[in-house]
Amino acid sequence: MGNFGQLMDGFVVALTVHHVMIMVIGVLLGLVVGVLPGLGAPNGVSLLLPLTFTMDPIAAIILLTSMYWGALFGGSTTSILFNIPGEPSSVATTFDGHPMAKRGEAVRALTLAFGSAGFGAMVGVVVITLLSGWVANFALQFGSPEYFAVYFMAFASFIGMAGGSPFKTLVCIMLGLAVGTVGMDTISGEGRLTFGITQLTNGISFLIVVIGLFGIGELLLTIDEGYKFDGVKAKLSLRVILRTLAELPRYWVTLLRSALIGCWMGITPGGPTAASFMSYALGRRFSRRGKYFGKGEPEGIVAPETADHSAGSCALLPMLALGVPGSATAAVMMGGLMIWGLSPGPMLFTTRPDFVWGLIASMYLGNVIAVVLVLATVPIFAWILRAPFTVVGPLIAIVCLIGAYTVSNHMFDIWVALAFGLVGYVFKKLDYPLAPFVLAVVLGDKAEDAFRQSMLSSGGSLSVFFEGSLVATMMGIGILLLSLPLLQIIFAALFRRGDSTDAGQTSRP
Amino acid sequence: MQITSLRKSVLTASALAVGLTGATAALAEWKPNRPVELVVSAGPGGGSDIFTRVVQAALTKNKLVETPLIVVNKPGGSGSEAFNYAEDNVGSPYKVYFGTQDAYVLPLGTKVNYAMKDLTPVASMVFDVFILWSNPKASGINTAQEFVAKAKENPGKVRVAGAKAKDADETVVTLVERAAGIDLAYIPYKSGSEAAIQVAGGHIEANTNNPSESLEQWKAGNQKPLCVFTSARLTDKTVVADGMSWADIPTCVEAGIDVKDFVQPRTVWMAADVPPEAVAYYTDLMKKAMDTPEFKDYTTRNVQITKFMAGDELKAFLAEQTKNYEKIYADNNWLLPASQ
Amino acid sequence: MEISRKTMEVATAVVTGGVGALICYGSTENGIGWGPGGPEPGYFPFGIGCLIVLGSLATLVQTFWKHAGAHPAGAGAVPEEPFIDGTRLRLLVAFVLPIVAMTAISAWLGLYIGMGLYIFYTMRVSAGFRTLTSLAAALLVIAVNFVVFEKLFMVPLLKGPILEYFGIY
Repeated sequence: MGNFGQLMDGFVVALTVHHVMIMVIGVLLGLVVGVLPGLGAPNGVSLLLPLTFTMDPIAAIILLTSMYWGALFGGSTTSILFNIPGEPSSVATTFDGHPMAKRGEAVRALTLAFGSAGFGAMVGVVVITLLSGWVANFALQFGSPEYFAVYFMAFASFIGMAGGSPFKTLVCIMLGLAVGTVGMDTISGEGRLTFGITQLTNGISFLIVVIGLFGIGELLLTIDEGYKFDGVKAKLSLRVILRTLAELPRYWVTLLRSALIGCWMGITPGGPTAASFMSYALGRRFSRRGKYFGKGEPEGIVAPETADHSAGSCALLPMLALGVPGSATAAVMMGGLMIWGLSPGPMLFTTRPDFVWGLIASMYLGNVIAVVLVLATVPIFAWILRAPFTVVGPLIAIVCLIGAYTVSNHMFDIWVALAFGLVGYVFKKLDYPLAPFVLAVVLGDKAEDAFRQSMLSSGGSLSVFFEGSLVATMMGIGILLLSLPLLQIIFAALFRRGDSTDAGQTSRP
Repeated sequence: MQITSLRKSVLTASALAVGLTGATAALAEWKPNRPVELVVSAGPGGGSDIFTRVVQAALTKNKLVETPLIVVNKPGGSGSEAFNYAEDNVGSPYKVYFGTQDAYVLPLGTKVNYAMKDLTPVASMVFDVFILWSNPKASGINTAQEFVAKAKENPGKVRVAGAKAKDADETVVTLVERAAGIDLAYIPYKSGSEAAIQVAGGHIEANTNNPSESLEQWKAGNQKPLCVFTSARLTDKTVVADGMSWADIPTCVEAGIDVKDFVQPRTVWMAADVPPEAVAYYTDLMKKAMDTPEFKDYTTRNVQITKFMAGDELKAFLAEQTKNYEKIYADNNWLLPASQ
Repeated sequence: MEISRKTMEVATAVVTGGVGALICYGSTENGIGWGPGGPEPGYFPFGIGCLIVLGSLATLVQTFWKHAGAHPAGAGAVPEEPFIDGTRLRLLVAFVLPIVAMTAISAWLGLYIGMGLYIFYTMRVSAGFRTLTSLAAALLVIAVNFVVFEKLFMVPLLKGPILEYFGIY
């Protein structure tokens, strides 16, 4: 109960007019930054950093975290409306969010996303409040084999689920892994798959891939489908927003499952992006309406959004307690902490409780403010959608290209994004699954690093992945998830033996 | 037809632009009249990034510059991206580059698209020291002597974590191996703090690190400093943990590992062919930044050695450093085939 | 011009297979074995490349097999929808070419001029607005982007020689 008392003290710190004002400003700035792909939360936070030098640390961190929430919400907005994920972690939101928006239900999609995101963030903050002391020690138990096991679990949950041709899925996963490999290798310090092209030694940024595959690819698809963009139907009314919010509790199973996945991935080094993917995959597998996922299913929006935000909140804890940032944004914030004269680490909780608990309290408030503000922006976006595609299309194209450029100020990246746009278009039309491709880009090189670090420290013995209860459990769950589709087929075959009408369908190649 | 005329106009325009920069250079009292980019050869949150942002904070807070300063991260290719950018922006006095020894070490071992002639040295401001740390609880190693003894018993089995491959950390580990006659297993991680956490969690026996990155884990009792890679002990006598201060950490030479001075300079550069007035301006600016309370706080917190070098002193230092590194790289067989 | 789905399937599989082979080749520069300290840098990329080649070959075989099987029964079956028909292809090219042109121009003259020309072109030619309206829209887009990126967020975009000449930075 000690934590609760400290949290109340934290609220006293955070609930001043000055701090609430800062939260509002931070969230608004974050929204703008999150909506523009390429600008993103890390950019926004590093931009505000100089401003915070003159503030006291508590106000400064409140500003930065509020901006972070705002950016997370802004990223979901563009995912749903234009299929451009403003943040890596909102890629999975495009899978169902954009189809729903295209159907003319943009307002519903946005409301679902923001509502479940708010719920996820709240669960995350509650977990932080209750478990802060324990989490720091738990995170210390993660060596390289455990890191690998976490990534393996995320992969395993995803691989089994893809429908369609298994060969195309294979090609997509492997191409994604290859993209992640390009550039400087952490373990050997050598450049890989660069083919002597200087620009490639910098690696191919995940954001560039996503802007191309999803943003530009979707533009091309829209034209191909004859400019069908039913934004006009996006009726905006308060009633739709309220009705959708009232609809949310119906998905309580998905909400809870996703929040738990999110917390787990946020505390362990998986991070928000992996969390949202994994939650989407598991949602698709375990939901009764799983087979409608990808066509604009509400649960397909709820699952990734909840997990993304609960992971985003939980990930702040390892950052404060261990000094290991879970994301690029967290890395910038940590830099800020050091400039303000605070060192993140296990002692921060005892030396500066006002700071830590003020921050945690501000996370409760910041999220509420973010949800309210972001719901208020829905009409603006619905209005943009009403413009004809001949006007909106080129504008989206410009946003994509500038986004690709601002990732690291290279013209070369714009060409790469265009190339990925073409790939995204062709792949989508030929039913190559894009989700495993993207997941492979995100996790591939991290998983490889963890694997090779484990090998180096064990002297090349694979048994490290099964020694120790933590890593063995995670690997076991991963293998189970991987073999689940296979088991499902066997079970289905067993149960349907008597049912002659359906039996032929599964056995046909 | 249209294209050629377009290209011609571009050429005239760029020629004019060059002429314009030339004109500014002629002014004696040089001052930037537009935003200045501070280009960092590391990603957000890294050591160089924090260093650059401290300089940015110190300069803006104390109103030492009138134009805005923009920090730009270019971490690609182990940081070579930043210096490559200098090569692309020859003569631009509005871009200042912040790095470590990476500026002159990178070309030795990796294929990079810039050479030292593409950079103008401006200043070296502080030195980050390196410390050898262990996890006393998990590995039972409490002193540098115990570390060496353990490594001798288990050749190739004692693991040392550090940031990146063939960078400062791995270099110092190879120096230790050679000086003590031991064989260690070096394991690279993405950053120094990641490596420190692996040691604190008891997964790895030891790591090399800048003091600040392991400070909190030392206070928490998860890490212990074994020895410091400097020729003289550190000066800070405030007690940190276990009744020990930074000054109580033995130098590695004292502890029997003959590696004298392995420190990391924090260096400031400009592109080649920049007006000398601009170099003078930024040299002076960096000197002023060092006298600000913000910068002093930063160096105390990071237990750095402050030593400002510029001009000929800096050039001599750089030449000597490059020669040292060439030797280490040759010994480690890390040199690029072309430069051998 | 119409591109059939089969043609596109084959072409894509050939391209991905080619990329796979390229990856295999590229990874050989890093050592593809399993050394004493675990896999060498090229070990995984090489395997990845091989799997891409395998997957592409399988897709290729599958495509041919499916179409060979579909042929005899084709009389009664619904003809397969093409990958893209002539009209759509023309629309697509008309959309993509200006973007490529804009990127090429931006690399020369900076992003602001590139985006201005692009917006002017699409407004005037594709959307059919009047010249003056299109010009105003182009200038507005440039201005908004300039304020957002250069002033608000201090993220410098590529300026190019012309803006540089006029002293805009």
